[in-house]
Amino acid sequence: MRAYILRRLAQSVLVVWAVTTIMFFMFRVMPADPTAILLERGLTDEARQALLERWGLTGSLWDQYIAYLGNLLQGDFGASFFYRKPVWEVLFPLIVNTLWIAVPGLLLGAAIGAAIGTAVGWARRGGKLERSGIFLATVIRGVPNFVIGIALLTVFSSTLGWFPGFGMGDPGETTGFARYLTLDFLHHLTLPLVAVIIYFLPENLLLMRSGVVENRTEDYIELVRAKGVPQRRVAWHAARNSMLPLITWLFPALAETIAGIVVIEIVFSWPGVGRELVLAVTRQDYPLAQAAFFLLAVMIVLANLAADLVYGKLDPRVVYK
Amino acid sequence: MTVAPDPAPVPGPVSSSGATPITIRGRSPWAAAWDSLRLMMRDSFALIGVVVLSVFVVLAVLAPWLAPYDPFQAMMTEAGRLNRLSPPTAANPFGTTGFGQDVLSQFLYGFRVALMVGLVAAVAVGFISTLFGVLSGYFGGLVDDVLMRITDVALSIPTLPFAIVAVALLGPSIENIILVITILFWRNGARIIRSAVLTEKERVYVKWARAAGASHFHIIMRHILPNVFRVVFLWITMSVAFAILTEASLSFLGLGDPKAISWGQMLNTAFSSGNLRTAWWWVVPPSVALVLLVSSLYLIGRAYEEQTNPRLRRR
Repeated sequence: MRAYILRRLAQSVLVVWAVTTIMFFMFRVMPADPTAILLERGLTDEARQALLERWGLTGSLWDQYIAYLGNLLQGDFGASFFYRKPVWEVLFPLIVNTLWIAVPGLLLGAAIGAAIGTAVGWARRGGKLERSGIFLATVIRGVPNFVIGIALLTVFSSTLGWFPGFGMGDPGETTGFARYLTLDFLHHLTLPLVAVIIYFLPENLLLMRSGVVENRTEDYIELVRAKGVPQRRVAWHAARNSMLPLITWLFPALAETIAGIVVIEIVFSWPGVGRELVLAVTRQDYPLAQAAFFLLAVMIVLANLAADLVYGKLDPRVVYK
Repeated sequence: MTVAPDPAPVPGPVSSSGATPITIRGRSPWAAAWDSLRLMMRDSFALIGVVVLSVFVVLAVLAPWLAPYDPFQAMMTEAGRLNRLSPPTAANPFGTTGFGQDVLSQFLYGFRVALMVGLVAAVAVGFISTLFGVLSGYFGGLVDDVLMRITDVALSIPTLPFAIVAVALLGPSIENIILVITILFWRNGARIIRSAVLTEKERVYVKWARAAGASHFHIIMRHILPNVFRVVFLWITMSVAFAILTEASLSFLGLGDPKAISWGQMLNTAFSSGNLRTAWWWVVPPSVALVLLVSSLYLIGRAYEEQTNPRLRRR
């Protein structure tokens, strides 16, 4: 077990290094020249040189790469061209904002999806409930997340005026964590959160339904049924065993959510990492874009690692080699 | 003393005498593909998907003849002013955009972009992931090791953020969007197909074919491929859906090809010009078309999923 964890850790470090390298060369080798945007015309040669040195753009590509890796190891992501301050200072508060819609959205989507999925999986094969459940879930799964966002925004914000559709609200006097506990914040949180839930629900539903269908013909279910346990409780037995794939799926899904939530953050102008990535790209603020991308990649690697480890804890049949 | 092996009892792939060659010869990949398609069509939900998809293909092909105007042409009122945000009228059945362009024409041209992205991505992703999946699953060894390491890294790359950065750096054009989509989605496909090939090559009949002297090429074409077709089709269907969604998302984020009108771009312009609420005629058509298209693909994909997982089949 320990050897397995160590090997997986080493593998994860390797993957992070590879992603970092790909990203570095992508940003430097691509047609768009990062220095062109940075250097305003009319600069003297000395001023230009000083600027280049300050942003770590001097020397050969290889030197730049080594310097970049060295800085990364020390937690130095460089400074944003646009904000003129360290990238980390810009991104750190945004991570929290993204997690605020990603984590509850994913958990609620999974819980509601699993509940309905169990009902659909337990329903009579080919019956009305099963067929309409599958059909609706598949169709809703095909709704792009910005269409969900636009629909919610148009109906509940602009037409009915029940919820604000822009940003996180005015922090006012409150600072630090207290701002997340105000009613105003929750009011702003509602629509983007619902959008994430709707985005994730169908996939969970279908996954859970497949699990329940696979389990319902197993011998242990027959046994429980033979003991005279009420239907509802029997379904619960099947559901519990079907949750395994769902739970492992949750970790990579969290990583993909944080990445995929970009679009929802844009629709609701929610100040998260994804929205900042899009803004940084359009402003050609490469250090910021690079760091935001790196952050998202690291989250995916960590999530995959966690999934592998948790799966073994939950399923005694899994043997680590 | 050695006896020269008698060639007669060894049923080679070319020999056509006796009962054994039938199992050795396997199935033609085309026949297997056709069978797979027919099985899928038996699913009524998948049939709905196929019907919607066919209508979309027809509209995409006929778009230039059906569209009443050039999608970029600005409409003028009789007074010679720009006809902005006009609700549906006889002249503009779907109204006009905030820049006075005909929504119906833009909408119809959108079919072309969506289906072209989907089609090219399907061919590219389908070909690359099948090639790598089969090679690494069948031969194993170094090919497999290298491929698995590459996909390990590739799977850790956040999809949409990568697409955003890559398209922004390469320049927003339809070719670059398709290139990025191909880079992104071959990886999962290769892995899925590889594991299907791994199970298939351990089957007894494959070993028999091998023992009977069938070549690797023959075994792959007539034994392995026909049996992993459902997995390949499932993956192709899903990649078409992902490709269309990715193009739409990129366009919605303002990274679409400025020379081709896509549904994502229409929504982006409506959204960023602040006309979401008033100009429903501008927002509803591209949204509905996207939902119909992607859902149809998922309905088809679901039918293959049920087929590839025997435990899900009706008993």
